[in-house]
Amino acid sequence: MDATFLLIIGGASAIAFYMAWSIGANDVANSMATAVGAKAITFKQAVTIAGVLSFVGAVFVGPHVAETIKGKIVNVGIISPNILLLGFVSSLLAAAIWVTVSTWKEMPISTTHSIIGALMGFGIIAGGMSSVNWGKVGSVAASWVLSPIAGCILAFLVFKIIVKLIFSKDDPVKSAKIIGPIIIGFTAFLITASLLLKTSLSKRFDISNSEGIIIAAIVSFIVGALGIVLLRKIKAKKVEDYSTVEGIFRKLQIITSCYVAFSHGANDVANAIGPVAGIIPLASTGEMSATADIPIALLALGGIGIAVGCMTWGRKVMRTVGGKITSLTNTRGFSVDFGAATTVLIASKLGLPISTSHTVVGAVIGVGLARGLEAVDLSIIKKIIVSWLLTLPIAAGTSITIFLCLRVIVG
Amino acid sequence: MNKKKNHYRAPIQDTFRKKSPFGQLLDHMGKVRECTLLLGDGLVNYSKGDYKNFSELTENVSKLEHEADIIKRNLRNHLPKSLFMPVDKGKFMWALREQDKILDHAENLVRMLDMRHTKIPKELQEIFIAHVKLVMKTVEAMEEAVENIKDLIETSFVKREREQTKKLIWKVHEYEWEADQKKYEMTQGIYKLEKKLAPMDVYHLLKISDWVDDIADHAENVADWLRSMIAR
Repeated sequence: MDATFLLIIGGASAIAFYMAWSIGANDVANSMATAVGAKAITFKQAVTIAGVLSFVGAVFVGPHVAETIKGKIVNVGIISPNILLLGFVSSLLAAAIWVTVSTWKEMPISTTHSIIGALMGFGIIAGGMSSVNWGKVGSVAASWVLSPIAGCILAFLVFKIIVKLIFSKDDPVKSAKIIGPIIIGFTAFLITASLLLKTSLSKRFDISNSEGIIIAAIVSFIVGALGIVLLRKIKAKKVEDYSTVEGIFRKLQIITSCYVAFSHGANDVANAIGPVAGIIPLASTGEMSATADIPIALLALGGIGIAVGCMTWGRKVMRTVGGKITSLTNTRGFSVDFGAATTVLIASKLGLPISTSHTVVGAVIGVGLARGLEAVDLSIIKKIIVSWLLTLPIAAGTSITIFLCLRVIVG
Repeated sequence: MNKKKNHYRAPIQDTFRKKSPFGQLLDHMGKVRECTLLLGDGLVNYSKGDYKNFSELTENVSKLEHEADIIKRNLRNHLPKSLFMPVDKGKFMWALREQDKILDHAENLVRMLDMRHTKIPKELQEIFIAHVKLVMKTVEAMEEAVENIKDLIETSFVKREREQTKKLIWKVHEYEWEADQKKYEMTQGIYKLEKKLAPMDVYHLLKISDWVDDIADHAENVADWLRSMIAR
């Protein structure tokens, strides 16, 4: 290990940390805004929980997506290692700058789109059009369209279930006391399963898939039973006591908010550390290894970055958002959180880099379509489409500029 | 608002608005409620020949009408095309419009009464008071029906709540019909007395019974739009 190697790794890690920080600052609102807005938890609790859970999600479920970001967007075989190294650094920096700028400018961009756009830009300039893996980019782009739709459908279904099984019953409170814990149990199942199926954790403890599912089922059962026990004392104060139902969901919503934070960490940590994971083998051996594992320390770095982002700038984001959201009641927030988090978690297990914020927006629209919201402003869809179109070229352009500058400096 | 300070990205917050259109409709209904409370007692006093505080009442009703107008305008001007609501936006606006007309007619009624203190003949006093009470009951029934929107929204329009609203709407129709009958009774009574009364008095009395009844008509219209709003 020589000084240059340490310098490169140190620099790249610093940039990755910056990227992770901006991701955390950006996306913390996605997970916690509904819970804070509904006064289920305070700002401080929200940012702390979001920080910790993003970290946990990043470290334990992260790697799948990182693989995609690292090697599959740019065809690494035909570009020389030194150029590749420069390219990864400049892509990371470009994406981080764009995320920070758009956070400042209040644009609904996606951190995932930024990094992919930046990598594409570098790929085009370094190896020509053919070096970019367009098929992979296409499938990633398809998942961007699919992720809001999936979030929308899931949130729609969850809300419809709540309406059918709770609100339309003669004693909504009694139904909520049973249905709520069941959904929470299901949430626990998904989280545990995602932790235990094909992750570093399951490798370490040698847990097979079927064992993982059994453990997840047991955990979900315990969580569900615990929920029923905790809620058993709540009684309806009058006929059609909807506020008590909302009260029950306020408690449950804290859990789904954590679920979003967790899956956000799992999904988005890759945006920050994916390129660095590519740099380490390049700098140490001079070659791009196809099978290099992403070291756990790197995941932890990304996780800490996101957590710090949540706790610093994220507070400001949350304050703005939490104060504004008043029309989203707890049952709605619950449905949005659940739909979004499940989509993101499944996508990150499949290795699809999707956008958390777009999924959340899709979920909000889903609840709206289920006649759950008093008013949904659909003009946000237009904004999202514009941001889709804008992010790729801008991130690519910035990345190209930084890359060219660096090449001149390094020679 | 503090839009300027808000430099942080938060796309989700923009998808649902803080101010709910239904909340504003209910605010507007609150003005109608205040107005009915004033009007009920005021008209009874008027019919008994007590004009002492009537100018003050007129001012108050006028103020309420103005406040309600501001709510209505605010709501109408800030309902963009891209806004997606669980009910038909057109029907929602019609309900609001009819609800606003209740106040318009109430204002018109008290202004006209204040301009010319037409004496209600002793023979008609009882019928007049009964008519006023029925009209106010119609409006109150409408208020209750509109109020139930809260529960409809909360449960996202489940069948049980829709049935409840329908029942409340039926009550509005019933009272409106009864009020109509009283109006015809009143008109009949005025024609019976036409020889005894001055022509201008007859004219004004006929007008008054129309104006009072208009309020109930518009309350019924609100209920009708509400009904079609919640229909699937």
